[in-house]
Amino acid sequence: MFVAGADVGTECVKAMVANGEGKIVGRATVPTRGYFQDCFQEALHNATQEAQTRVADLGQVAVTGFGASCASIATQTLTETVCHARGAFHQLQKPMTLVDIGGRDPKVVRIDERGAVTSVKSVRKCAVGIGTFLMFTSRHLDVHPTRLMDIATNAGKPAPVGSYCSVFAEVEVIELLRAGASAGEIALGAMYSVADRIMEMDRLQGQVLVSGGVCEYFPGVVRALAERSGCPVEIVPEPIMAGALGATLYALDAARG
Amino acid sequence: MASPRTSEAPLASSARLKEIMAAHFVGVDRASREHTAPVAWCTSVGPVELLRALGYQVFFPENHGALLGASRVANETMGSAHALGYSPDICSYLTSDIGSYLQKRTPLSRYGMSTAPRADLLLYNTNQCREVKDWFEFYGREWNVPVVGVTSFREIGEVQRSHVDAIVRQMEDLVPTLEAVAGRKLDAARLEESVARSKECSDLWREVLATAAARPAALTFFDGTIQMGPAVILRGTVEACDFYRLLLAELQERVKGGKGALPRERFRIYWDGMPVWGKLRDLATLFAGLDTSVVASTYCNSWVFEALDPRDPLPSMARASLELFIARSEEPKQRYLERMVRQFSVDGVIFHDSRTCPNNSNARFGMPQRLRRTLGLPVLTIDGDLNDLRCFSDEQARTNIEGFVEQLEGQAPRSPAAHA
Repeated sequence: MFVAGADVGTECVKAMVANGEGKIVGRATVPTRGYFQDCFQEALHNATQEAQTRVADLGQVAVTGFGASCASIATQTLTETVCHARGAFHQLQKPMTLVDIGGRDPKVVRIDERGAVTSVKSVRKCAVGIGTFLMFTSRHLDVHPTRLMDIATNAGKPAPVGSYCSVFAEVEVIELLRAGASAGEIALGAMYSVADRIMEMDRLQGQVLVSGGVCEYFPGVVRALAERSGCPVEIVPEPIMAGALGATLYALDAARG
Repeated sequence: MASPRTSEAPLASSARLKEIMAAHFVGVDRASREHTAPVAWCTSVGPVELLRALGYQVFFPENHGALLGASRVANETMGSAHALGYSPDICSYLTSDIGSYLQKRTPLSRYGMSTAPRADLLLYNTNQCREVKDWFEFYGREWNVPVVGVTSFREIGEVQRSHVDAIVRQMEDLVPTLEAVAGRKLDAARLEESVARSKECSDLWREVLATAAARPAALTFFDGTIQMGPAVILRGTVEACDFYRLLLAELQERVKGGKGALPRERFRIYWDGMPVWGKLRDLATLFAGLDTSVVASTYCNSWVFEALDPRDPLPSMARASLELFIARSEEPKQRYLERMVRQFSVDGVIFHDSRTCPNNSNARFGMPQRLRRTLGLPVLTIDGDLNDLRCFSDEQARTNIEGFVEQLEGQAPRSPAAHA
């Protein structure tokens, strides 16, 4: 028996396949381009291939993320909050404040010692698009997103990027370029900007863990978050897959009745 | 150093301004720490005369908010208040100040203070907005001290006797609490004296602002936002009156000598709404570079209290608090703006639509369009905020303002008589 879980996000679609013993035997990440349906199918296909099975043989398919409703073969759809919480707690088995930073809206999720979600705060509507903003920033700096971190590392101080709206923030980046700020300073400023938006959502306390694609590609955000909050901040193992892992665990629950 | 064409002429009296502002902050801080006098927080257009008459040292948190904004520390403190549940859409003075308290970061550190002074009592008047009450209640809970105030009428057309009577009754009801915390009885003569000084301060401040009616204007809005400090935080004191006499003499000399605040004044603008505190210098430089004086504002005139009368303290205080522009409905507001435009021979009006201060933003119910129609003047609305620079775009503001001045250039030259 195989089951799958998928996180259909605005920047990437992540899929995982587990066998009957609950072992993850396939995983795939596909950039979100065009229709969610196509990206979801591609990711699921890739993950099942790695697991040496077929999509048709999946007993359960649990789906989460912005495009979850586009996954027509889903046997259940779940919120991102519970999936990221489940995925993070499964790996760490301890209470935590989980910060999920994906392409669209970051969330601060408090998880107790049983793994139950005790509170969730999401960013306000006009501040969505945090991960996407970093992608825009890369474009304006004319570097591949994976290089944004490299150039930020060499910057002495972050250039101020204060807008909570990702469109306004993008304009700020353009203005900074015109004013002659270095690419590194802008890259670092963009990461601090993300950290600042998260700090405005909730008071970060205790052990803070970060999941989602942003910390996978832009670890500077995690460093900025630790500096701003004064809390120890760690990254969940395979942070970009945390939501998909949570969905897979829910699929396993369903398969086992 | 800015070029002469893009800078405003400095005022010699500014040195005295710095001294009395510093003495005020140091004095309130000492009273708070050493308990040498009761300390109250008061809203900027609240019934401060009662507090002065009872011997309170008074701190004005909106002034602190403005300092946080002007120093841009606000941008780093607001987030802590947001995280506590105070929305980014409510007054950014409030969120800046509460964030400052939570982070123990304040521009008052230049006066040796690590935080704003702790109060024994907080006194508000909601004539300006509801936020002031919520703001003070935060500190009331933190410090376990009384939060009292006046719940005012809003959107007032004509101020009626019934409005005044209702506010007087509320003020009378405040007195026992104010007396209990101060540990003394309210003395009628001291209240009259306090109102008399507030009235004198208000009259002097009005005369100071009126020097901008001269061509060229002796004072700009940007200078005014700094010079108004004593009218806000030292209203009802001898120091404020003495300072404004000094400032007024200097400005009258300018007028007599035909000197303006700007090296060259081609156009004259009226500013409605809050200052963008973190961009004051940038905007002043922008306007000066365009040879354009922002000669008058609703904001600076908000501390002119025509109604104050020491012979009739509480009713005149009540009337003054109700006649304020911010507490009025659209019709009296429009009449006021029309009068100001004529008095100051203005070529155009700029409305600052301040994101987190709807009560001090007058572009949301068709006012700019109505003024354009009745006065035949160009009108511009710019988006921004008093403290939250996330709501302000340098580029958008600059483009709009430059375009606006170009529009003025395209019009026939105006003379003061044209507006009479």
